[in-house]
Formats: sequence, C-alpha cells, structure tokens
Amino acid sequence: MLQQEIHDFLLNYFQANDCLVIENHPGYLTVQLTVELDKELMNRPFYWHYLEKTGGIPNPMKLTLITNQKQAPEQIKGEIIHFGSPRLHQIFNSTKNLASYIRLYENHDHLQKQTPLLPWLCMNVRISYQCDRKRDVFKSIGLQLINGQMVEGFHDRIQKIQLTPKIPDYSFTLSPLVRPKSGIARIETYLQNIISKDDHSWADEARKRWDQDLRLLNHFYEDVEEESANYETEKQALQEQYEPKINISIINGGLFYLTDKAI
Amino acid sequence: MMSVDIEFDSSWQDDFLHRIENDGPWGNWELFNLAIDVEKHLVIPEFEGLQAPNHLPNLTPLPHQLETAKQVIENMNGKAILADEVGLGKTIEAGLILKEYMIRGLVKKVLILVPASLVTQWSIELNSKFFIPAISQRKSYVWEQCDVVVSSIDTAKRNPHRDIIFKQDYDLIIIDEAHKLKNNKTKNYEFVQNLKKKFCLLLTATPIQNRIEEIFNLVSLLKPGHLGSETAFYEKYKRDARSLNDNEHLKELVNKVMIRNRRADTGIEWTKRHVETLPIEFTPQEKELYEAITTLKNEGDWVQKSAFSVMTLQREACSSREAVFYTLKNMLQKKEDPTPAFEEQIQSLIKRVEAVQKNSKAEKALEIIQRVNDKVIIFTEYRATQLYLQWFLKQHGISSVPFRGGFKRGKKDWMRELFQKNMQVLIATEAGGEGINLQFCNHIINFDLPWNPMRLEQRIGRIHRLGQEKDVMIYNFAIKDTVEEHILKLLYEKIHLFEKVIGELDDILTKLEFGNIEDHLIDIFGKSCSEGEMRIKMENLSSMIEFAQDLKKGDTHAAAGNS
Repeated sequence: MLQQEIHDFLLNYFQANDCLVIENHPGYLTVQLTVELDKELMNRPFYWHYLEKTGGIPNPMKLTLITNQKQAPEQIKGEIIHFGSPRLHQIFNSTKNLASYIRLYENHDHLQKQTPLLPWLCMNVRISYQCDRKRDVFKSIGLQLINGQMVEGFHDRIQKIQLTPKIPDYSFTLSPLVRPKSGIARIETYLQNIISKDDHSWADEARKRWDQDLRLLNHFYEDVEEESANYETEKQALQEQYEPKINISIINGGLFYLTDKAI
Repeated sequence: MMSVDIEFDSSWQDDFLHRIENDGPWGNWELFNLAIDVEKHLVIPEFEGLQAPNHLPNLTPLPHQLETAKQVIENMNGKAILADEVGLGKTIEAGLILKEYMIRGLVKKVLILVPASLVTQWSIELNSKFFIPAISQRKSYVWEQCDVVVSSIDTAKRNPHRDIIFKQDYDLIIIDEAHKLKNNKTKNYEFVQNLKKKFCLLLTATPIQNRIEEIFNLVSLLKPGHLGSETAFYEKYKRDARSLNDNEHLKELVNKVMIRNRRADTGIEWTKRHVETLPIEFTPQEKELYEAITTLKNEGDWVQKSAFSVMTLQREACSSREAVFYTLKNMLQKKEDPTPAFEEQIQSLIKRVEAVQKNSKAEKALEIIQRVNDKVIIFTEYRATQLYLQWFLKQHGISSVPFRGGFKRGKKDWMRELFQKNMQVLIATEAGGEGINLQFCNHIINFDLPWNPMRLEQRIGRIHRLGQEKDVMIYNFAIKDTVEEHILKLLYEKIHLFEKVIGELDDILTKLEFGNIEDHLIDIFGKSCSEGEMRIKMENLSSMIEFAQDLKKGDTHAAAGNS
C-alpha cells in the first residue's frame, strides 16, 4: 500500500464511520472520533465504564494520523502511520469487523413500473494454503438464490451497480428458493471442488519434509529405552510445523437484491 | 494425490443467519468495500519471498540479513542456528524471520530467551525496529496474556514460570547466546529440550566448531536426529575429535541447519580501529610501592606460597593505590593468627600506599577525556580503582557513571541511559561478556589490561559493532618496566590483537587447544625465577599463538580454494 493509498483509506474509513474530519492535508489528517469509534480504537474501557456509571458528558478523543512525514508540518503531533504500523492494522481489523454482514438493494431506474429484485448471496473469502509456509487467494463468490447460478468475481461485478440499503419504490423482492443456509453450503462445496482440482504439489513437498524429519526423530530416539515425553512433544511439533491444510475464512458477505439483468 | 484437509470457517454463518432472522443490523457499503480493499492488500499470493521489509520503514536490512531470513524460511523450514560473526546483526535476522512469520499468520505465540542483561534491549528493538509488541517478562501472568515474551532462561526455567511455560503453545522459540547450551547435562539444556519447538532459532556468536560433542548437543536440540542418534554419532565420530573441519560430511550436515555469515563476505565497510598505546611513567612514590611489592617474591615465607598474591598486588599497583590497599586489608583480615612479621610486612606496604600522592594513569586519563571532549568509556579490572576514578573525575568537574557486571538488569539499562544522555564518562569493571551495546561512544580507555585477550575483545566489541558510525579510538595504558608492559607487548606486538577485526580472535583462540592464555600468563609471571626465564616463556607462548594464526590463514585459503 502506498502512503497516498493509506491516506485515502483512512479518510474513507473515518468518513464511513461518521467522524468529523477536522483537518485533511497532504501528509496528515485529524479527525474527531465518535463515541463508537473511540470505544473501537482507543482502548480505554475504564474511561467509558466510569462515564456510564457516573453519567458524565462523553468526550471522545481527537486523533491525528501522519501519513507522510515529509509533507506534514513539523509542529504537527500525531501517530506516524505506515503499512506495518500496529494502528493501521487495528483499523484494518476494525474495518472488517464493522462490515462483516450487509444487505443491499439495486437502486434501479425502472420508474413507476413494479420491478422484481432477485436475491443473491455473496461471500468474500480468503483461502489459505498452509504448511510450514503459507499463501492466500482472495475469491468473491455470488450465488443467485432462485436459479442457483454461481459466479466468481462477484464483488468486482457489483461495483458497477447503484446500491441502496432501503428497498426502492416500485420494487419487490422475490423469495429465495434456495435458503441462505443451503446457499452457504453450496458455496462451500463449490470452493472445495475447485480447490481439489488445484495443483497440490506444495502439500506433497511439505509431507516429504515432514516425513524426512520424522524419520530422523525416530532414529534419534531408537536407543532410548523408556517412553520419552520429549519424543511425543517433538512429534507433535513436527505435525504442527508441516501438516498441510487449507483454511477458508470469510471476510464478509451478505444479501444483494438485484434486477434480472444486473449480473 | 493425497487430499488436503479443508477447514471452512463456520462462525460467520451463524451470525449471518441470525441477522437475516432479526432483519439486521447490517454494515455500511463503504466499509464493506474498504474491507475488501484491505484484504486485497493483505493476501500474500506466493509461498516464496519476504513481505517483512515492506512493513519496516525504520529499518534497512543489509543484503546478508535478508538472504539469511529467506534461507531460514524457504530452505531450512524455520529451524536454524544463526551463527554470524559478532556484530553482523543476528538480532536483525531473527527479527526479520519473526516478522515474516507473523505477517503471514504462521506465528503468533513467541518465546524469546536471552541473557538477563539483554532482555530490555531485545524488547526495545523488536518494538521500535520491527513493530512487534514484545514484552519483557516481569510478572508471571505475562506468559499467558502476552503473545511475544522476552525473558532470561534462568527465570524461565524456575517455577512457577516453568510450569506455566510448558502449558503454552509456542509457535516460535528464539534463544540468544545459545552456545551456553552446549552441555546436555545442564538444567538449561534440559529445559530447552523439553520445550515444544515448532519453529526455532538458536543464535550464537561463538562458532560451535570447537568440540564435536558440543555440535552434537546443539544440533540435536534444534533438530533431533539430524546428526543421528547419540550412539550412532559417537560410533562414527570420535568424541574427542578436535573440530568439525576434520570431517567434510559432518560439516555439510551441520551447514544444513546453520548459517554463519563472515564479516569478509558481507562487503560492509567497517569503521577503523585506531589503537594508541601510551607508556606511562610511575611517580617516584608509585614506583617505590611497586618495587616493594616485587621484592616480596624473594622475601619471607608467607608470600612464597602465594605467587599469585604478589602478582595480583603488582597488577593492582599498576592500577591504583586504592586497589592495593583494599587487597592488603583483606589479606590482613583473612589471615588467621598472623605472625608479627607478616603484620609488619603489610603495615610497611600500607605506609608506602599512603605515601602515594598522585595516580599517573588517572592524570593521563583526565588529559585524554579533556582533549577528546566527547563520551569515553574507561575499563578497569578493579572496583577500588573504579570508585577512585569516579571521585577523581568529579574533582575535575567531569560527570561519570559506574557500570558493573553484577548490576541488576534495570540498573544496567538505567546506567546506559544515563551515560548516553547525561554523562561524559562510563567507568566499567568487567563488561560482563554480553553486556550492553554502547555504539554511540567511540573512545575506550583500557586503564589496565585484562590478561585474557577474549575479555579485551569483548570490551572493544561493546562499541565496535554495526551501528558505529565513527572510527573507534582505543587507548591502552601500560606502566613502563612492569608486568603490564610485558602483557601489552604480547597482546599488541605478537598477537597484533588490536588490529584484528572483531570475531577473528574467536577463531584463533579456539584453534589454540592448549588452554587458557590467562593461565599461561599467571604461570609465566608467577613461577619464573628470573627475567631470562620469563622472557623465554613469553616467546614460547607468542610463537604458539602465531602458529595458530598461521593455521587459521591456511584454513581460509583452503576454503576459498574449494568454493
């Protein structure tokens, strides 16, 4: 992430959370946190607890984030933000937490004509291939809950569509024939199918390394007569180190009600 | 093809269905999109390569450090002995590896075991250079509540800590100064052996090529069986075999789990060492004291038995009258039923101590401190001298802090800080091998010389390391016509000690399989009956050292030829 991208991201994050942006200059940004965001980011539960008990006037903090030290004036005091900084990663996590679930409707222009909206289930996932090393793949899957149509890259496609959280006038939603729960199961099966067709040489290689180390370990404990707790510990450690596995985690997702030709 | 287990996160689903039922609450579209943007930046599509450098704007790792991190992760599966020569930044390498694993989500819970004096420094470096929230262990709840904990092995191995530690599930264990684990009969060894080591880094500055037994123990700690079982190993290699170099196959095996970068290969420009040797004249009173002590060797029966005390007194007389006085007082107190003759001897020496009005070395030190007008570290072997110097410098308006190996961790950190921020001089008795790093200072005065060259090396190593930006100035004091001058000649002219780059001496001294240099010196100065005998013995010693140096050079050539 470039420093400018980080700056834009932070600005979007605070605006999306209804914070007043007090200053927004190249190189830095000062925002007035809302009560919710102060609780989310500033890690001061005692203050909020105290306030709720005593009924005082809440005073959420202001936060200054420096996104480019060279551009920010010297006298500006604030937290320096870069791609590795803990604060940025806290905000990354917060972004995910605050928007894990969504429901939106297409804001179509079929004026004065009753328009049916079709339900889509969207799941944005990260697939992690892990042994003693790791790599990830991002996938966005959409499933139409009437006819079962499955599409990849759903998130990119939906960017072109006008969306709104309230159902627009002259619109009605069609009830799903596939229930959300079985929709999720279908997406899971679909992902498992495409993953199983992947190249899994990485896992074979990891198992080879595991096997090799295990043989060395067995050899090492050959002369030891009694049952050794260390042997079991080491064996366990090797499994944790090498055993290949694939984790699918869900970043976010939700329901989208779209017109017939939208996707 | 074998199948791989696929774990599908189901926690999302429950909450989602719940929200459908309750008609919300639903997240906002901008945040939803932002979360996906973030995710696209955070996924790491390749197994290979290092992500850590992109996360570390405050750090520019050197090429050999990056290469080492990559090697350990990609070819050594995260289990390695990092054995770079002193001062090449093993901590940085370990930090890079740790950071990489943390970014990729392979490591969360980490245990870092280091010497007590380095605990704070490790936490500070991990926090400031790597943005890793490492905590110095001070309370026992830390083990469970914090993910990255730095502690000394001596604390960790004791209860209640020990039991708590064994209940934790560590992903990575880092051990600094791991050469201390070369003996598999020790409690420390046993403790580390019992830890579950998924990923593990052992850091050591001392090359482990010394003894085949030590290599076996260290490697077996990291990767049991890599060198075979104990019986099989010793059947193949003789227990007393001198070094790793005797066996190509073994060397190759060890190199699979060990990385040793050498200064010469890194291509880093090191700042220079300038050594100035300052012969110093005694004042007449100081000379009288020294000579009175020297004549003890041939006098009375009480000293004959302890050549060592005479030698100690001689060396102390070269340092300060306070050091001599302190020892004399001790001798008098410890002796049961002292004879009148003995008491008289001591008393007459004490009179000579009292006659000394000036300390020639202290005057010289003052002159240098005033001339360089910069931070200076003074090393002395004696606490009495240390106290005296503090007083003496204060008389001349120069601020100083004392430093001793015996200080507690917090006090050491505090003294270092005081020296860096407020004081001009740090007066240290033994730096305590792996003590503190003082590379913000570039002047050292060796007020008196240790007889063990490794200790001298460690002294200099405190300031001549990566991060030192200026040339390093070393001032060696030696009083003319005393034991000190002999020692200096040996260290300086014969071994060319001060011209060596750091680390080189390790290799040379391990080649010298004839024991400790200090013991040889004690033998030479203590037992020689005449100047002539002493000179001959000194020459023998220095030619042995030269021989070892030649051996070392031969090695380097051979290695260069092979590669």
